[in-house]
Amino acid sequence: MAYYVNRNIKMTWWERSYIPEILKGMLLTSRRFFHNLFGFVPFFLGTTKERPIMTVYYPEEQVQYPIAYRGRPVLAQNEDGMPACVACGLCEIACPAYCIHIEPAEDSGKQNQYERWPEVFDIDYAICIFCGNCEEACPEEAIFMSDDCEISMLDRKQMLYTKEQLLVPVADLQKRIEFTRNMYAKWNY
Amino acid sequence: MWVDLIITLAKILFILAILVGFFAPVLTWVERKQSALMQDRVGANRADILGFTVLGLFHIIADAVKMFTKEDFIPDGANKVLHTISPVIALVPALLTFAVVPFGGQYTLFDKEVNLVISDLDVGLLFVFAIASLATYGYVIAGWSSNNNWSLLGSMRTASQMISYEVTIGLTIIGVLMVYGSMKLTEIGAIQENFWMWGIFLQPLGFFMFLTASIAENKRIPFDAPEAESELVAGYFTEYSGLKFGMFFMAEFIEIVTIGALMTILFLGAWHIPFLTTATLLSWFDFLGTTGSNLVVMFIHVGVFFAKVVFFVYLQMIIRWTLPRFRYDQIMKLGWKILLPLSLANILVTGLVILALN
Amino acid sequence: MELLIFYPLAGFCVVLALGVVLNNSPVGSAISLIGMMLGLAGIFVLQQAHFLAILQIIIYAGAIMVLFMFVIMLLNLKEGDDTGWIARERNLLLSVLTGLLAVGILYKISGILFTAEMDTPAILPDSFGTVATIGETLFTDFVLPFEVASILLLAAMVGAVVLAKTKLD
Repeated sequence: MAYYVNRNIKMTWWERSYIPEILKGMLLTSRRFFHNLFGFVPFFLGTTKERPIMTVYYPEEQVQYPIAYRGRPVLAQNEDGMPACVACGLCEIACPAYCIHIEPAEDSGKQNQYERWPEVFDIDYAICIFCGNCEEACPEEAIFMSDDCEISMLDRKQMLYTKEQLLVPVADLQKRIEFTRNMYAKWNY
Repeated sequence: MWVDLIITLAKILFILAILVGFFAPVLTWVERKQSALMQDRVGANRADILGFTVLGLFHIIADAVKMFTKEDFIPDGANKVLHTISPVIALVPALLTFAVVPFGGQYTLFDKEVNLVISDLDVGLLFVFAIASLATYGYVIAGWSSNNNWSLLGSMRTASQMISYEVTIGLTIIGVLMVYGSMKLTEIGAIQENFWMWGIFLQPLGFFMFLTASIAENKRIPFDAPEAESELVAGYFTEYSGLKFGMFFMAEFIEIVTIGALMTILFLGAWHIPFLTTATLLSWFDFLGTTGSNLVVMFIHVGVFFAKVVFFVYLQMIIRWTLPRFRYDQIMKLGWKILLPLSLANILVTGLVILALN
Repeated sequence: MELLIFYPLAGFCVVLALGVVLNNSPVGSAISLIGMMLGLAGIFVLQQAHFLAILQIIIYAGAIMVLFMFVIMLLNLKEGDDTGWIARERNLLLSVLTGLLAVGILYKISGILFTAEMDTPAILPDSFGTVATIGETLFTDFVLPFEVASILLLAAMVGAVVLAKTKLD
């Protein structure tokens, strides 16, 4: 049987019949209906620019996602074309879904040379859960969550993105970088 | 003889055309578009032919194409015969009710009395009730024959809900026929030529109870526990696809129109315009001769009737998109503990008033 | 013309009535019974008893059989799972009573067959079978049986409520 909550609300007989509330609700919805129905008229006459419609025509129009939105993770690419990543593997460990695969490569580390960089950096978006732990774990500001959420494919194998597909110039990520600095300031050095 | 047959066939064709050809498909569009406008959305407008969308009206065609081309699926372990015929059993009563529903009065066309009702039964009101009670089987058998637990639960809920609310409908109908003293729907309509004899004034409580109970009979929100999406997947038609599903859908939309027509005839003055008798209307168009004036008045009356039906359809759509679903025990409570005593009290008060007035 | 409708309808009824008895699954039996009721209603219409036909549909096909179906589905009897049927077959008292009933009906029918004139149908008044006439008959000639039946129904209703109430407590 149903579980009844005792709300300690005393209702009158008229209130308990729910008729006034039903009528109120129907008035509200029909008011919106007629408002929007005749909103077509000034819209077509040109007196108002837009109908009061909240939704957008999705593929043609798109909304600006807030900066805190977690889309697919991408790699930051320095101005000289190399990834900012040093292949430390922290994101690989932090990832709860095990969707990141890194194979590091290293050099002598002399002047104007990179000491470590990832030879292979794969993220399988079919497995990724968009938690943002990799971004939080990264000590080098190399991996960021973008606002791109349209990663549907007809084949699962295509959802495995390689390093070249993941790289995004660091200039495009400035807003997110600033946001993460504010967000994870306690832990960043 | 032949003339009568042709007239009857014409009336049947008219009803079928307006129900299956107009109301059922257009209402699917109306429901989408109206709900969208009520919720500040745009609504269906993507289906287009050569770039023209016409406010999304082509979605009707797209729907029809989809339903015709979908796989006709019969689940494993289902009773094939019953699974196939149950949509028909559900659809036929919805259409059959219109056999006794008049959509206009009586007119003299070419020296012939034409009554705008397919079959003017002496027991018209009871016929409507009987057909409504038969509609239960379509849904019950559909749920049982699907070999699916959700479907069975849905059909159990359907059976109990429809039985409960049939009682209210029957008792409300008794109040109406006590007032009008006839079970012929044509006579009930003809009496309401007088504005103050409209059912909504004579049976105000009956009006609300009939509306509530018939929405519950039609299993639409707020009484859609039998097909509750969030609880039972889709209730009794979970295992239906393609045109069979379409038939259940069509039955529901035709039943909306049926309810609207019945409400119009019983409570809202049938095909009459307030304070305007048929004789007055006829005298206005006297210059057209008997047949001409009768024709004009006939078209006016049919138009008025369907305008009222559309009003009730609109009302049901508004209710459907405004109210949340009742819990199952609340539906039963409303049916047996509130509506049943109220309808009995309604009969008692009606009887007392009639006794006092005589 | 009437016979042309009557014989198919009657055959339909008999076939479905046999279906009720011989069907293996309870749901199939119930559906056959519903079809039989509808056919019977059709025969009533053929006899100009519209009101009776509609009542047949409302009460038997529309209300009682829905409850039957409801109960059968609630118990969820499967095909061949017919312990109930076997119990019915071996019940001597039931068999004797049914036999008596059958004999009585046959006796009554044979009586009609030999006395009534088959070829001259009675001429019916226009008001035959209408709601008004039936109501008038019920409340004048048959007022006592009518009231007794209603009291019986009331008693059954009160009994059902009392039974349900004790079960809940």
